[in-house]
Amino acid sequence: MSRTPISRRTALKGLGVSLALPWLEAMGPSTAWGAGADTKNPAPNRVCFLYVPNGKNMADWTPKAEGKGFDLPAILEPLKPVRENVLVLTGLTADKARAHGDGGGDHARALGAFLTGSQPKKTDGTDIRAGISVDQVAAARLADKTRLPSLELGGEQGAMAGNCDSGYSCVYSSTMSWRSATQPLPKEVSPKVVFERLFATKPPAERAAQDAKRKSVLDFVREDSKELGAKLGAGDKRKLDEYLSAVRDIELRIARAETLPPVKTPDYAVPATVPAKYDEHVGMMYDLIALAFQTDVTRVVTFVLANEGSNKTYPMVGVTEAHHELSHHDNKPEKKAKIRDINKFHTTQLARFLQKLAGIKEGDGTLLDHAMVAYGSGNSDGNAHNHDDLPILLAGGGCGTLKPGRHVRYPKETPLNNLWLSMLDRMDLRVTALGDGTGKLSGLS
Amino acid sequence: MRLRRVFIFAPLAIAGLVPLVRPSVPELTAAQKAEPAFKTDGVAFLKKHCLSCHSGAKAKADLALDKYADEAALLKDRKVWQRVIDTIKGGEMPPQGRPQPTAGESDAFLKVVGDVFEKHDRNAKPDPGRVTMRRLNRNEYNNTVRDLVGVDFNPAEDFPSDDVGHGFDNIGDVLTLPPVLLERYLAAAETIMNRAVTPTPPPVTARWQGAWFTEPAGPKVPTRNNWRIVSVGKDDPTSTGPVHTPVKVPDNGNGDFVLRARVYAETNGKKPVKIALLACCDKNAPGVASDEDVKQLSGAAVAALRPFKIVSIEEVTGRTEKDAKEIRTKFGPTPGLHRTAVALVKPADGEPEPKLYVQFMSLDGPLDSRPNTHKQLLKCDESKPVAERSREVLERFASRAYRRPVTKAELDRLLKLADAQLKAGDKAGAAATGKWEAAMQFAMTAVLVSPKFLFRVELDDRPDSAESHPIDEYQLASRLSYFLWASMPDQELFDLAAKKQLTANLDAQVKRMLRDPRANALVDNFVMQWLQLQPLKNAQPDPKKFPQFNEQLRAAMITETKLLFGEIVREDRKVLDVLNADFTYVNATLARHYGLMSGPNAPRFKNNEEFVRVDLKGTNRGGVLTQASVLTVTSNPGRTSPVKRGRYVLEQLLGTPPPPPPPNVPELEKDGKPVNAGTLRQQMEAHRANPACANCHAKMDGLGFGLENFDALGGFRTQDGNAPIDSSGELPGNIKFSGATELKGVLLGKKELFARCLTEKLMTYALGRGLEFYDRRAVDAVTAGLAKSDYKFSALVTEIVKSDPFRMRRGKSQ
Repeated sequence: MSRTPISRRTALKGLGVSLALPWLEAMGPSTAWGAGADTKNPAPNRVCFLYVPNGKNMADWTPKAEGKGFDLPAILEPLKPVRENVLVLTGLTADKARAHGDGGGDHARALGAFLTGSQPKKTDGTDIRAGISVDQVAAARLADKTRLPSLELGGEQGAMAGNCDSGYSCVYSSTMSWRSATQPLPKEVSPKVVFERLFATKPPAERAAQDAKRKSVLDFVREDSKELGAKLGAGDKRKLDEYLSAVRDIELRIARAETLPPVKTPDYAVPATVPAKYDEHVGMMYDLIALAFQTDVTRVVTFVLANEGSNKTYPMVGVTEAHHELSHHDNKPEKKAKIRDINKFHTTQLARFLQKLAGIKEGDGTLLDHAMVAYGSGNSDGNAHNHDDLPILLAGGGCGTLKPGRHVRYPKETPLNNLWLSMLDRMDLRVTALGDGTGKLSGLS
Repeated sequence: MRLRRVFIFAPLAIAGLVPLVRPSVPELTAAQKAEPAFKTDGVAFLKKHCLSCHSGAKAKADLALDKYADEAALLKDRKVWQRVIDTIKGGEMPPQGRPQPTAGESDAFLKVVGDVFEKHDRNAKPDPGRVTMRRLNRNEYNNTVRDLVGVDFNPAEDFPSDDVGHGFDNIGDVLTLPPVLLERYLAAAETIMNRAVTPTPPPVTARWQGAWFTEPAGPKVPTRNNWRIVSVGKDDPTSTGPVHTPVKVPDNGNGDFVLRARVYAETNGKKPVKIALLACCDKNAPGVASDEDVKQLSGAAVAALRPFKIVSIEEVTGRTEKDAKEIRTKFGPTPGLHRTAVALVKPADGEPEPKLYVQFMSLDGPLDSRPNTHKQLLKCDESKPVAERSREVLERFASRAYRRPVTKAELDRLLKLADAQLKAGDKAGAAATGKWEAAMQFAMTAVLVSPKFLFRVELDDRPDSAESHPIDEYQLASRLSYFLWASMPDQELFDLAAKKQLTANLDAQVKRMLRDPRANALVDNFVMQWLQLQPLKNAQPDPKKFPQFNEQLRAAMITETKLLFGEIVREDRKVLDVLNADFTYVNATLARHYGLMSGPNAPRFKNNEEFVRVDLKGTNRGGVLTQASVLTVTSNPGRTSPVKRGRYVLEQLLGTPPPPPPPNVPELEKDGKPVNAGTLRQQMEAHRANPACANCHAKMDGLGFGLENFDALGGFRTQDGNAPIDSSGELPGNIKFSGATELKGVLLGKKELFARCLTEKLMTYALGRGLEFYDRRAVDAVTAGLAKSDYKFSALVTEIVKSDPFRMRRGKSQ
């Protein structure tokens, strides 16, 4: 690489409004495929799942025309610069988000079922259960390829109070990734913590010494846990198993760090605390996803932009009322307009993210060409809480496996999980069953 | 509304008035049988009154009652049936417009169903339940590290937030341990031990200050060649001193220090010139100078420097700059050390006045630069061989970390780890000094990552036995300390547990622990979660409607509630104060918000931060329902929400939560047109015209309307826009009231419900699990005990820690 990497100061200036600056590109290639077209080292396919809560104002979302020449209703309008990279998928259903005898709780179920296709168990704490989520299926299979199997991000802390939705524990409405049916994965909200997790902040020698020490600590605790089993109840044993599987996970991670090529630490300034301005926070998290993909630290990312049922306000677009309250709009036009503005805020952020990915050259194309970015909500209309006709986008080229730039309409009740199965397919992960998926989705390529 | 109530309550009233005509057919049948059977009578009632809606796949409210054919089926779904009982009892079902059962029919049915459960509970063995072992949550982790290691910082800030179950963040079943968290635990353990133990002590800090820059400062400081001149007298502090300079020292001045100064003095006298080296400190520090001591010192600034300790009095022998000498004195721990000074001692009578020249002052130390935590954690008999020292240090640390005596096997393993680290140090050619310390530090890091530290493991010899058996005394100590302090047990609890004397001393220990400042954890964690005040930290009231909202007000709201509870805990007040305390705590911000700043009794504040206790008698406030914190979290950003407030009362204070709204609530329509006009109250009343919503909203809205005099920030108001506030409310049972004070009266009339609700919440928090039906007995006993002790807070805690679920457990094989 011949270019001088840009300085921290320059990178900092790039933050804020003009996030589309090519600073990521300016950092130079950091992977085998980054340098140019290389048939021996083709760029791998990455997946990213983005979740926005409380449904959409569907009238301002769904294009009227199908196929290539589709129109961009108000909410999709910000995607204009990247429309050729986006598939609008209409008609998908998250059936397991429906009550099926469990009564209220559409918000908790919407997120709980979104990537799992499994009916979340209605409980306020005891025996939490949903299903393994699609990202974790991919993460488990790709684990040996990258330093981190996956990354779980959030734009809002897990809810801090009581049951969040009609008798469902808050876990459901704040968690998108499920490592197993019983193990929800918490999301990372602080950009600083994410950055430190992605990239070494220590010199290699120091890091190696630290890893060696950690290895012997982990050996010790595993040995030390052995005698516990006989004196624990069944529930305790499950917790201990969880602990031991985390121990193994970190051991593997340390082992991988020894064999995988070193990761270059980008010159990116992260603030010590979570930015108070939500748009800055979201922009930063998107930057970190781009960096994680670009440096190949992971190939699987989930990002919950706000918890399901979130009552965030959006003063930056003039909405000072709480999002969830507003989403019960009773079909009042002024409330629906505000919901549209919130929805539009999110697609604007998405468009910037996609443009950023498109600005990073990789091999024979761009990072966006080598990624599949799914975006959507498990609720369709926030007022009706219906889980069919979901607002779903799929962006990126998927390493040539997708033909974006179209609006595709699916028959009613087509399971959302069929999309997830189709995406796994495109990562060369042959998985036949996931949640309520019934097969692959046609019309994506 | 009104129509409906007449409809429901009329049959009841008639039945009550004319008991003789009451026996109806179903009840006769029930009475005639030895045991009224659900199979026959109960099912008959269901068929007659319920199944037309509640059966099959499309059952209303997703409640199919046709699957309950016998007692066994009933017992399996107790929660469902509790709701069925409540709904029928409350006259909510069958709904208006459907044929209603007679009071006799309903009563008989409820008795049949109730008997099924009671018979079951009576014959069931007492069951203390079993708690899943709990991972320390973020608070507990921070507090435990503070008490175990002795450092007060918050390593857990970077941990992912803990999930909440049953309303609290300390529920064993819900607290998971994903890999990312274990990674944080590793990093935190390293950071903690790096700060607590310093194998290679850092160099001693010298705080050197040229006399030119010492105080008192000013343009007229007399100097010569950068030496500062101090003369005798008491008029001008700039020229008479003492000269002094601020210092910052770690550990509150603990440790040995050296104070240095380079000086000489000019004099014509015969007697030696003397100076005093001073260390300004806390007034309670040992050796603080008395009035008598101070009298001998010269200088106008002396009085202002007190309290100080006279480190030493020294003779100044040098008479010229060339002969100047450095004076140095060592002194011991000086709590609050924050400033050092050099003063002239008054010359003896008749002696001429000398002139003192000072070049610099320097405070060096602490001479042992290892932090206190280092010394405490590694304390041992240093005359002993290394192996024995290691054993002493690690046995003490691991036993406290695991909150029980460490076993020999555990200790051996730990020593092996430390030993390997020592040998690795040898190989790497590490310096001899600090090698052992580094090995201890490493072993302690491993302890902090062990599941025995991260989880509250309660080892059980009979983990599969269904028999109820007591937990051991160390486990009881931990349950107590994490309940009341959200931290590990202290030495007193450990000592009692070691002597097996804790169970016998529970009352005294509870009293002691509640008076300890650590009991604030109960307020910070339990109360904040019970009252659901965490969301207040992120609340974003509409700035257009509430420009007065700012961070100061937000913080003051939270502090008020905490201080109220702090007093209830500390002063052992009645728990009913939660509903109607006649006092509160406000700072200036909150007092303005509440309109308490005028009048003869207006509180006075020293500064903006200070909170003072104010008497609320005769005001419109008192108790949490009139506190801005609760009123704000139960509002929407731009307006009040009587529904939310009503639901809050039912759920958090009375423990009778309304069922969740039916899915897909129809839009608010009347005569085919959406209801968009009218006051909030009118809109809500229209809402209640919908029978699907009416049952619950009758309860919620009524309670919420009673609080309408408080706006969405908890400010008092009599107008909403142009409309006057109507704060009258009505509850099922023809209970009418107006305004917050009368509403509180209604709630106090239900104090048993409130006490039971609080008991259930506090027990959930104490046990770390959701309450089950088998806990009913324990809840009954605690609630009864609380009422008997005049609702004192300590009684509630004592009853809980003595209850079976708290002291016992049973095994659970799956």
